[in-house]
Amino acid sequence: MLAFVLWPATAAAEDRVTVRGNYYREVSTRVLQPTVDVTVDVPDERLTLGATYVLDAVTSASIATGTTEVTGGDNTFTEIRHETAAYAQSKLGQWGLGGFFRYSTETDYRSRSLGISGQRELLQRTVTLSLSYAYNFDRFDRIQANTGARLPWCGGSQDIASCSGSGVGLGTNLVQTHYVAAGYTHVLHKHVLGLLTAETAVVRGPQDNPYRGAQLLVTYETHPVRRTRFAVAPGVRWILPKANLVLEPRYRFYKDSWDISAHAPELRVHYRFAKHFRARARYRYYRQSAAFFWRDDGNFAEPTGLCSQDTVENCATADPKLDAWDSHTPGIQLVYELDGLATRNGLRWLDQGWISATYNHVFQSTRFGQARLGALAFSLAY
Amino acid sequence: MKSRTIGCAAAASAFAIVTAGCVTVGPAQRAQLAKPEMTPAGETAEETFHSHVEAAREGGFGGHGAAGGGCGCG
Repeated sequence: MLAFVLWPATAAAEDRVTVRGNYYREVSTRVLQPTVDVTVDVPDERLTLGATYVLDAVTSASIATGTTEVTGGDNTFTEIRHETAAYAQSKLGQWGLGGFFRYSTETDYRSRSLGISGQRELLQRTVTLSLSYAYNFDRFDRIQANTGARLPWCGGSQDIASCSGSGVGLGTNLVQTHYVAAGYTHVLHKHVLGLLTAETAVVRGPQDNPYRGAQLLVTYETHPVRRTRFAVAPGVRWILPKANLVLEPRYRFYKDSWDISAHAPELRVHYRFAKHFRARARYRYYRQSAAFFWRDDGNFAEPTGLCSQDTVENCATADPKLDAWDSHTPGIQLVYELDGLATRNGLRWLDQGWISATYNHVFQSTRFGQARLGALAFSLAY
Repeated sequence: MKSRTIGCAAAASAFAIVTAGCVTVGPAQRAQLAKPEMTPAGETAEETFHSHVEAAREGGFGGHGAAGGGCGCG
């Protein structure tokens, strides 16, 4: 969602196809995610149309994701998620406008999202302001143990037998998210680009995992049904031409109404070691506090109503990402720009194309353990 | 308290960066800014994947976008 909203129009619009294969691996979970994205100018950057398809194949062998609950045994199972999105972008003088619709479906979750964005360039195009809005409306189900029946899920505090799969509000399985982002980009110097993004999201609806109750002494995990989230992220890109280096410090501060606050400083260093070869190294540190209803001992009482700041006794969670924890993520990326090959006979179609390989290793202090993120991608202009 | 101090320092740094950039850089001076490694929009797909992973594994969200994607050099 964020990418469609926050990048309403790229600087170099063109007809392009990008294929990417993402890989995620940790102790109990493996994700394979091929994606394809196609953009077409009709006839130029005044109107760009695009479409994206994402396949998520999540293989899990852990109680952490509810495998045992769903399969009735300690088996591995693979969940498939399909996501399609269509978007339009328009660049008219110093104005840019964009819109998108996205649909995602998996066995027990359906998500729809639509959004609009606008941007304005100022001060001889050295400043870009942008504003984006997106609305997400998702439907949440629970697959019953052994029978495989799919029932609407309204949250741990609601009786699953009376939960409605349609309608709005408490007693329904609808999760609504209103998302707003404002962005600011500024050419601070002929070698320095400054960036600032502020984002907020208001989420209403069931936000607990319907399968994780098995890890607690209660029937179901129960989280608050309301959450307001806020993030601000400044950053700089500073190019050192003589050294062929780009330094990119970033920082993100996050705060929400569940009392989680998080800091994520990051440094990226891009190095062009040949005319068409570049590499990027990154290091990210992430640290967060615990949600107000987190308990280290996991000793929750059976909820009797809605979970909130005023009724903490009705909350129950086994979600590791709601605890206080931190992580370290080093990573490396190699990119080869295909322009070098495009000068040869028969290979002109490679002009403006590139291929990339990325690897990140996450050392995290949660029980998810270490994680590996990899990606291979190629992109061609046509 | 420590978190609040870090947050305030970050906000002050961001403000200083933004307000310090009131000098207008002419189009002819922006050649370096047009390079792919200086273009946030070129990393959209990667940022989307990281956003997806972090949403599943972290309590926080955001920080994967940059306004306008541009240096005004396109």
